[in-house]
Amino acid sequence: MKVDFWGHEFEVNMWLGCLGGFLIAIMSSMFGFGGGPFMVPLMTVALGLPMYIVVGSSLLAIFFNTAMGTMRHMQFGNFDLLLFLSMFPAALLGGYFGPQIAKRLSPLVVKRVACVGLILLGLKLLDLY
Amino acid sequence: MKVKFCILPLLALVMMAFALIPQAQAEENGPAPTITLDKTTLDNGGEITVSGQVPAGAQVYVEVFAADKTVRANRFDGKKDPKTGKIPYKFYLTHEMPAYYKIFIPKDMQPELDKAKAAGKGWKYSEVLKKTGANAAYSAPTKIKIDKYQATIMASIIGSRGDLLEAMDEKATKSESMKLVKGRFRSVGNLLAAAVEIKPDGAYAAKMKLRSGLAPGKYNVVVTAVTERTMEGDKETVKKVKSEVASFENKQTFPTVYLSNAGTSINLLWPFILTLAISIFGVLMGAGGGFILNPILVSIFPALPHTIVAGTVMPTVLFSQGSGIYNYSKIKFINWKLGVGIGCAMLVGGFIGPKLTEMITLDQFKFAFGWILLVLAGLMYWQTTPGYLEKNKKEQSILKEFKKRAEEAAKAKGN
Repeated sequence: MKVDFWGHEFEVNMWLGCLGGFLIAIMSSMFGFGGGPFMVPLMTVALGLPMYIVVGSSLLAIFFNTAMGTMRHMQFGNFDLLLFLSMFPAALLGGYFGPQIAKRLSPLVVKRVACVGLILLGLKLLDLY
Repeated sequence: MKVKFCILPLLALVMMAFALIPQAQAEENGPAPTITLDKTTLDNGGEITVSGQVPAGAQVYVEVFAADKTVRANRFDGKKDPKTGKIPYKFYLTHEMPAYYKIFIPKDMQPELDKAKAAGKGWKYSEVLKKTGANAAYSAPTKIKIDKYQATIMASIIGSRGDLLEAMDEKATKSESMKLVKGRFRSVGNLLAAAVEIKPDGAYAAKMKLRSGLAPGKYNVVVTAVTERTMEGDKETVKKVKSEVASFENKQTFPTVYLSNAGTSINLLWPFILTLAISIFGVLMGAGGGFILNPILVSIFPALPHTIVAGTVMPTVLFSQGSGIYNYSKIKFINWKLGVGIGCAMLVGGFIGPKLTEMITLDQFKFAFGWILLVLAGLMYWQTTPGYLEKNKKEQSILKEFKKRAEEAAKAKGN
């Protein structure tokens, strides 16, 4: 498929994009997270698209998944309103303060800290320590 | 005439005898245990003592369950049957599981519980009930309604539970209810405790500890006294008497609230603080907070089912995603063809995923999530390697340049 973006034309392998998106969507709706950190590498590395087209378009694709996943979770009775009401304002506040703090920190350091934290959390879930 | 007169008193005698028989049977098993609770209310858990009198020499079991709060429990049977070699693909679901269920057994049976604890996650509830004799007291969950579905791979893909099968008989319901109880409450300590002290004369007392964060409302307590057990071959006959139902009330005050879908109480400040901290960190590392929030919630609130966690965290990001899309679309920074194209594939995936959450156990959830996080850590590390940074620098400057142009274009249009 050919995609036009700000005067540049890109050739996108939609089969690969849809297959990857499909698998990421199953995983992310199953475990209840967004899926952005997997979608961005899929579109930049596997599809070879530049970052500036990926940021907005991947968000749009993920939105479809989150909306559908939310509906299905509600249908199965997996949604708790009170818990949601306690987390939702916190998520909004975090989204507001996050970028302001991000300006003052080196993204490199943050990512390395996150990397260590994720490994620890992952090993904990696997019951390895 | 004479014959008739003879029959009447005889009839009366027979009727009296019938009336006497049930009484005689109860007499044979011993008088019903007496039951007294030392409190009528608890404040978000605590200690409550049940005491009374049973026939001398009897074993005493105390069954405690939430009387007015029920939760959902489900189990997917995807294990190969060793006899037939087939996978049953049965899905069991109930909405009537008591939100709290526990049997307190005599103190001297502690070693059996220790053995079960040592067996780890694979412990068998039904076996422990049998070994400790607590199955004599196991009664509240046998009355729940359990729906049984024949799941198929195809039905799972389209996201249905499958065909509803015929209702199970009493015996099958009892045995399935034990599996659901174990699946719901999981640990030995949640379901059984050796706490009943019995004196030789039959006076008993049990200090029952209820942890904080349980369902509020009415709790029922029933005492079962087993007076005699006889084994005939494999079949065990148990003579038992049950006490009347005693109840107490578990109270809670804000901000601790009961989550009816999750079947547990929680102090609402905790999820708030956690979400705030994690979503800030999520912005910093460029990944949504759900990756960290989900595993942390299931780890520190073991009573919170993973299905509820996944299903409730997901909608919280919906809004921020929507506003992000709106901001990007204002400066025309979204390629709709690309986004909607891949989005359609993700729509299908999002339809299937939540069904799968239901079909896996908490341990499988943790296991899979553990690996996902390790992969994610790998991706994060890759983003800090020099090769990636160099490429990213160029891309970021192009991104900035394009954004600037896009914003200017949007402004020019506005004017």
